[in-house]
Amino acid sequence: MEKQAPQNGPLEEALTISRADIVIGIPSYQNARTVAHVVRAIHAGLVKYFPQYTAVVVNSDGGSTDGTREAVLSTRVEDTHLLLLSHPLFPIHRLSVPYHGIPGKGSAFRLIFQVAERLRAKACAVVDSDLRSITPEWVDLLVRPVLHAGYDFVAPYYHRHKYDGTITNSIVYPLTRALYGMRVRQPIGGDFGISNHLVARYLERNDWESDVARYGIDIWMTTIAITEGFRICQSFLGAKLHDAKDPGADLSAMLQQVVGSVFRLMQEYDPVWRKRVGSQDVDLFGFRFDVGLDPIEVNVDRMLGLFRRACVDLGEIWALALKAETLREVRSLALLAEKENFRLNDELWVRIIFDFACAYKERALDRGHLLRSLTPLYLARVASFVLETQTLYSPEVEEKIEHLCRCYEDLKPYLISNWDGSGPETAETDRKKSAGVMTGGTPDVVDAAKNH
Amino acid sequence: MLWTLQKIIEGALERLSYQLITYLPPLLAAVVILAGAWVVAKLARWSFTRIFKGIEFDRWLRRSGVTTMLDPSGRLRGTEVVAQTIYWAILAVGFLTALNAFNTQLTSRMVETAVLMLPKLVAAVLIVLAGAWLAQYLGRSALLWAVNEEIPSPRRVAAVVRLAVMFVAVVVAADYLDFARNVFLAAFVLIMGGAVLAGSLAFGLGGRDALGRYLGGQRSEDRSAVPAERSLWTHL
Repeated sequence: MEKQAPQNGPLEEALTISRADIVIGIPSYQNARTVAHVVRAIHAGLVKYFPQYTAVVVNSDGGSTDGTREAVLSTRVEDTHLLLLSHPLFPIHRLSVPYHGIPGKGSAFRLIFQVAERLRAKACAVVDSDLRSITPEWVDLLVRPVLHAGYDFVAPYYHRHKYDGTITNSIVYPLTRALYGMRVRQPIGGDFGISNHLVARYLERNDWESDVARYGIDIWMTTIAITEGFRICQSFLGAKLHDAKDPGADLSAMLQQVVGSVFRLMQEYDPVWRKRVGSQDVDLFGFRFDVGLDPIEVNVDRMLGLFRRACVDLGEIWALALKAETLREVRSLALLAEKENFRLNDELWVRIIFDFACAYKERALDRGHLLRSLTPLYLARVASFVLETQTLYSPEVEEKIEHLCRCYEDLKPYLISNWDGSGPETAETDRKKSAGVMTGGTPDVVDAAKNH
Repeated sequence: MLWTLQKIIEGALERLSYQLITYLPPLLAAVVILAGAWVVAKLARWSFTRIFKGIEFDRWLRRSGVTTMLDPSGRLRGTEVVAQTIYWAILAVGFLTALNAFNTQLTSRMVETAVLMLPKLVAAVLIVLAGAWLAQYLGRSALLWAVNEEIPSPRRVAAVVRLAVMFVAVVVAADYLDFARNVFLAAFVLIMGGAVLAGSLAFGLGGRDALGRYLGGQRSEDRSAVPAERSLWTHL
């Protein structure tokens, strides 16, 4: 049943199979410890829910040296003593192939999509290789809406610990929702179902060599699906329990890749988001239930310490990105002596993100520098969120996130005016004007935007 | 006696008139040339400023990333730089032409030297400017890295990086101009050698434990262990 690691290129290997209805992709790097469970869950899911379909499981590996590929190929579903009542009509093929090019999750996805297209798969799904909470039902929930309900893109919907997914909760979800008007709760969840039409669209794009090749891939996929009119839905998958990301990875770089992708896509889809007002729910499949979650330890003192030091050291850089009023408020936060009183409120946070988006577009400074300078501000926001929600339960935390989302939507006029260059000047320009270095003036629209 | 005095005065007047006849016309010509160059330079600066503002040159530079590339602080105004460069270039050409009007050995040599030195000087200035840009860029990169990695005194780290890059640029420019070559090279070798030695010692002493663990085969265990305080960072 299982195929050995190919000697030829991965696409040539896929050609020997010739055709498959379903392709399930698993991007991996050093995941020998967890990948076997993921493979077993997928195998069981395919046997249980899609026995009449031909399927291929593709592991796209980034050069693991811990035996990840061997684990994928040698895992046997029988080892679990699982009693399968249904039996597949066709064998489930399994490939484990190394991808080439820029090392990263996006490059791994690209290879999976190429295999799916070559096999003319009707549906493709991708799942992370570090998942501990994946069950056979995930395969059904990610693939069935594509195969049987005509959806092109299935985003995951999980229960996560209140301090898990903080980039999602504080930036990516609310910003995507405010921009494109669709409430996709986990736009960078990492586990997706995709139709063959959408796979073809992804592959025909030519921006694979950017941050898309790395952690920018998830938001890139979601944004394209939303903005280009593909049918999208969500599937409730339960809890997302997974290993830590590669501990050796530069996590500031991860933030940079994700946020950089969001900002870059904002430029591309400017005409789309400019017109959209408010947001709407997205269809949700799956039966929702409560689950237990791994606790997450957070060191608030360390985050605040980093933020306070950055206020001293990065003031010059922030002055190029942030509007004068925003910078003033950020600096005043650093003066708060009491940790418990520290709050980076929703409105200020939204203005920070919008200011950064405009600075990114205007190239107010090098884009890499700009995005890296966001890290201390992001940590300050997370620290504030943790302090604010430490006694709250999940539903109350969700309300807080909902409030943040509405704040993003309410301040969209502020973004548009700054995006068009008619908003207030950055702190640096403002300073120069006050010093008489420049002449001419611009209307102050902050208040107008706030009042809107 | 009177005759002698008259002769001396006549000689002085003759020499004065000769000098006036010899130097006054070229001086007047030089003044006229300089004045003309100044007027043309002013006019050119004004015209180019208007033209570039009209076509939103600064905006284009900013959007294309050139402004940020040349000046990481983002304060650079392309229009101003181009207009000022044209202004000074016209004035310099005017000055050389004015000097040439005297047609003396000294002025001819000065003009010749300036013309011969000009390409080298421009190249040296470009080297220093490129060094300044690189110093700013790398200094800012070092600053951001040091802040995000919680390295003590990030501004000092950035300043050291900036200084080192600028120093290299000045050494290269001086070497190109054949200006105090030995002094600069000796200083460069001494400073860089010292810095490398200091860095090696610091790295060796600091990384001794890590290397010991690595050689002891504990590397894989270390990689999978995530410090508690970083755990938030591991979840997107």
